[in-house]
Amino acid sequence: MGARRRRGPLPGFGLSLGFTLSYLGALVLLPFAALVLRAASLTPARFWELVSAPRAVAAFQLSFGAALAAAAVNLLFGLLVAWVLERYRFPGRRLVDGLVDLPFALPTAVAGIALTALYDERGWIGAALAPLGIQVAYTRLGVAVALVFIGLPFVVRTVQPVLRDLEPALEEAAASLGAARWQTVRRVVLPELLPAAGTGVVLALARGLGEYGSVIFIAGNLPGLTEIAPLLIMIRLEEYDIAGATAIAATFLAASLLLLFAVNLLSWRQGRKAAVG
Amino acid sequence: MSIRLEGLAKLYDGHPVVSDFSLELPAGELCVLLGPSGSGKSTVLRIIAGLLAADRGRVFLHGRDVSELPPQARGAGFVFQSYALFRGMTVAENVGFALAVRGVARAERRHRVEELLERVGLAGLGKRLPRQLSGGQQQRVALARALAHRPEVLLLDEPFGALDARIRTELRRSLREIQRELGIATLFVTHDQEEAFALGDRIAVMALGRLVEVGPPRELYLRPQTEFVATFLGAANLLVGEATEQGVRIGPVDFPLEHRGESEPARRRVQVLFRPEDVALLGEQEAGALPVLGTGTVESCSFAGAFEHLRLRLPPFVGVRAIAPPVPFGAGAFAVVASRPPHEARKLPLAPGDPVRVAVRRLHALAHPGLQFLLLAEPSAEGLEAVAFAGELARRTHARLAVILAGLDEATARERLGRGLGELTFRPARGGAVAAVPEAARLTGPDLVIAGAPAGRGTPLAESLLASGDHHLLVVRGPRPLPARVLVCAAVGEPGKEDVAFTGRLVRHLGAGVTVLTVLPESSPAVARAQAERFLQASARTLEPLGVATETRLGLGATEEEILAALAGGHDLLVLGVPLPKGAGEVALDGIAGRLVSRTGDAPLLVVRSFEESP
Repeated sequence: MGARRRRGPLPGFGLSLGFTLSYLGALVLLPFAALVLRAASLTPARFWELVSAPRAVAAFQLSFGAALAAAAVNLLFGLLVAWVLERYRFPGRRLVDGLVDLPFALPTAVAGIALTALYDERGWIGAALAPLGIQVAYTRLGVAVALVFIGLPFVVRTVQPVLRDLEPALEEAAASLGAARWQTVRRVVLPELLPAAGTGVVLALARGLGEYGSVIFIAGNLPGLTEIAPLLIMIRLEEYDIAGATAIAATFLAASLLLLFAVNLLSWRQGRKAAVG
Repeated sequence: MSIRLEGLAKLYDGHPVVSDFSLELPAGELCVLLGPSGSGKSTVLRIIAGLLAADRGRVFLHGRDVSELPPQARGAGFVFQSYALFRGMTVAENVGFALAVRGVARAERRHRVEELLERVGLAGLGKRLPRQLSGGQQQRVALARALAHRPEVLLLDEPFGALDARIRTELRRSLREIQRELGIATLFVTHDQEEAFALGDRIAVMALGRLVEVGPPRELYLRPQTEFVATFLGAANLLVGEATEQGVRIGPVDFPLEHRGESEPARRRVQVLFRPEDVALLGEQEAGALPVLGTGTVESCSFAGAFEHLRLRLPPFVGVRAIAPPVPFGAGAFAVVASRPPHEARKLPLAPGDPVRVAVRRLHALAHPGLQFLLLAEPSAEGLEAVAFAGELARRTHARLAVILAGLDEATARERLGRGLGELTFRPARGGAVAAVPEAARLTGPDLVIAGAPAGRGTPLAESLLASGDHHLLVVRGPRPLPARVLVCAAVGEPGKEDVAFTGRLVRHLGAGVTVLTVLPESSPAVARAQAERFLQASARTLEPLGVATETRLGLGATEEEILAALAGGHDLLVLGVPLPKGAGEVALDGIAGRLVSRTGDAPLLVVRSFEESP
C-alpha cells in the first residue's frame, strides 16, 4: 500500500505558495535581476572605476551614514514616543498619536520643501541655530534631519502594539522581586520591546536609504559633499550614462542588503543579550 | 503576626471591591483566601504586595507598617496565575533575578539558584528558556523566583488556575512541603474549594469584597456561621425552621440544638444545616433512634467512587422554607441531597422513584440567620428609588430578595436592582400592590418589607404593610445612598432590645455607624436616668462586637423634637421601634410614630416591630 502524503489541516498550501512566489518574482526579483544583468555586462575593471570614483564614494558614504544616524536617532525617539503614547493618558493623546503618521502621508517633496523652509538661514529654526554656528539646510546634517523626519513612524508603530500587549504582571513581578523602576525597564521591558524596535529600525533604515524626494530639497546637492546616492543615479541616467547608473545602483543595492541583514542580526542578538544582562 | 491587615478598603470607579477587610496570619501559617470570582480576593493580595494602593486601611508585615512602602521594599514574594516569567531569560536567570537586582555576587547567586531549583524539583533545567518548559514547570520556576530573596511572606494569586487537575495536585503537594520547610507565612488565593481544603491551615471566605468567615477547613465545613459559607463550601441542605424552647422544629420533628448562636430576643426563625453525609436513609419498616424528617421519593442517584449521591423529594412542611438545594418556585416540595458509603447502599438499594424515610444524624444551626427581604416594586418615583435602595441593601447584606412586581416589569426592576444579588425571585402582584403583600409574606417569611412612599404621606401604607405579617418595614422616600449614620430611637427595656438587635443585623454589613438615642422627659427621676444609661451601654455592647461603631445619646425633653434634632445632625436612616402584637393584624401608627413618619423628610425610615408581651 502506498502511503498517502500527510496533509496539513489548511487547504490550498500549494496554490497560495505558488502565487506568492510568482508575485514576488514578477514584481520584486525580476527588476533586481535586470539590474544585476545590466551591471554584469560591464567589465570588472570598468565597474570598479565607476563605483570607486570619488563622487560615487562620497555619495555612498553620505547615504549610508545619514540613514544609519537617522535610524539610530529614530530608535531612541521612537521608543520614547511609543512609551509616552502607550503609558500615559493626557489630553490630546489621540491627536499626537495621529500626528505620528503624518510623515507617511505627506508627499515627500512637500516634506522636503517644508523642512528646507524651516532650517534655511531665514527659517524659524535655521535662524535660531545660525548664531550658534550650526547650519542645517544644505549640509549633511540636513540630510540626516530629513531622514529622521520620514523614518520616525516606523519605530513608533512597530513598538506601540508590543508595548500595549505587554503583560502588566511582568513589571509587577519585577517590582515585587525588588527591581527599581529603571532596572525593570532595562532588564524586563526593553528586552521585550527590542525585537519590535529592531524591525522598526530596519524599516526606517530601508526607507532612509531609498529616500529621494524630501532629501534633494534640503541637501543642496553639491557633488561630493551633499549628494546622496539615489540622486547620483538619477543624474547619471539623465546623462544617458546607463552603465554608470547601473553600476552605482547595483553596488548600492548590494550594500543595502548587507547592511539591513547585519542590522537585523544585531537587533536579534541585542534582544537576547539585554534580557540576560 | 506575619501578616496583619487592618480595615482595608478599595474602590474602583466608586464601586467598593474590598471593604473593611481585616485578617491576621501567624508565622508559618498557610491561609487560603477563598471566594467566587469578583469577590475581591486578588485585590487584597495585590494591596498586600503593594501592587495596588488601598483607599483605606493598613498592612503590617512582621509588625512593620508597610502601607506606604513601594512593592520593592515590602519583602513579599508574589506568584501570578500567568507565571509572568521573563521570556528572554533562562530559568536560572529568572530565578536569580531578585538577587541580580540586589547586586549579589555571581557565584553566590548561582549557588542559591541551584539550591532553589533543586527545591522546586527542576534541578538541571537552569539553562532552558521558560517556553521550553511545561506549564507546571513554569509555575515551579515562578515559585522559585518568588522565594529567591528570602521574602517574609509568600503571596500566590490563583497560581494553579491554568493547570490540569493532576499537575495541580502535584504542585499543591510541593508547595505545601516547601512552605512547611521554610515556615513562611503564605496567603493563597483561589476560587477552588477543593484546593482550599487541601492546602489551608485556615480558610478565609470572601464575598462581595468582605471577609465572611475565617477558620480551619473542618470548622468552616461542619459549623459555618453564615448561610453564604454553608452553601458555598460543599453540598448543603439548608432549611429555615421555627425556633422552639429546646431547639428547632422542622415539620413534625423537634430537633434539639446544643448551642443556639447569638441570643436574640423573639427570634422566630432559625437556619439549620445538615450535610449530605448527615442524612440517614431508612427503609419503610426500619426502626431507628434518629429523628425522621419524613418519607420522600428518590429523584435521582449517581455513583461517584467512594460515595453514592442521591437527591430526594419530600412533601413540604408548614413553616419550613428550603434555601439549599434550591427548588423551583411553586414546586410544592422540597429537596434533600444525601450521600452514603457503599456498604449502606448495599443494605438498602435505592432507585429513582423508590420511597424512602429520611432521617438526620446531625444538625447545625447557623449563628447568623440570613436576611430575607420582600420588595414592593412600583413604577412611581419613590417606588423606583425603593427598588434601587433594596438592591443595594440586599447586595451588601447578602440578603435574599423577593420582589412583588406591582406595575413594574421584571426587566426594569432587574436593571434598577443591579447585579450581584444572591437570590432573587419575582412574583406578579395580583389584585393590587398592597393586597399582594400578605400572600407573598406568608410564602417567603421576610425579615423586612421594603416599599417606597412619598415624603410625609407614608403613614397609611406603613400601617397596611405592617399589618400584613410580622416583619419589619423600610420606607424609602427619595433618592438616597445606603446610610452611613443610623439613628436608632429605642425605648428603654425589652422592646428596645429588638430595635437594636435588628439594626445590628442589618447595619453590620454596611459599615455604617449607629447612634442609639433614648429620650426621657426632663422631669425623670435619677433612677430612670440610670436605667436608661445602663440600657444604652448594653446597646453599645450588643452592637460593637458586630463591628458597628456605636454612639449613645440620652435626650431629655420632648421625644419628637429630640429625635428630629438628632436626625438633622447628619443621620441618614431613622430606626423607630414600634410595639406591635405578634402576627398579622390591624396596625395603627398613631402617636409619636405616626407623626414622625410624616415629619422626617425624605430620609429612609426603618420601622422595627417589637413584640408586645404576650399574656
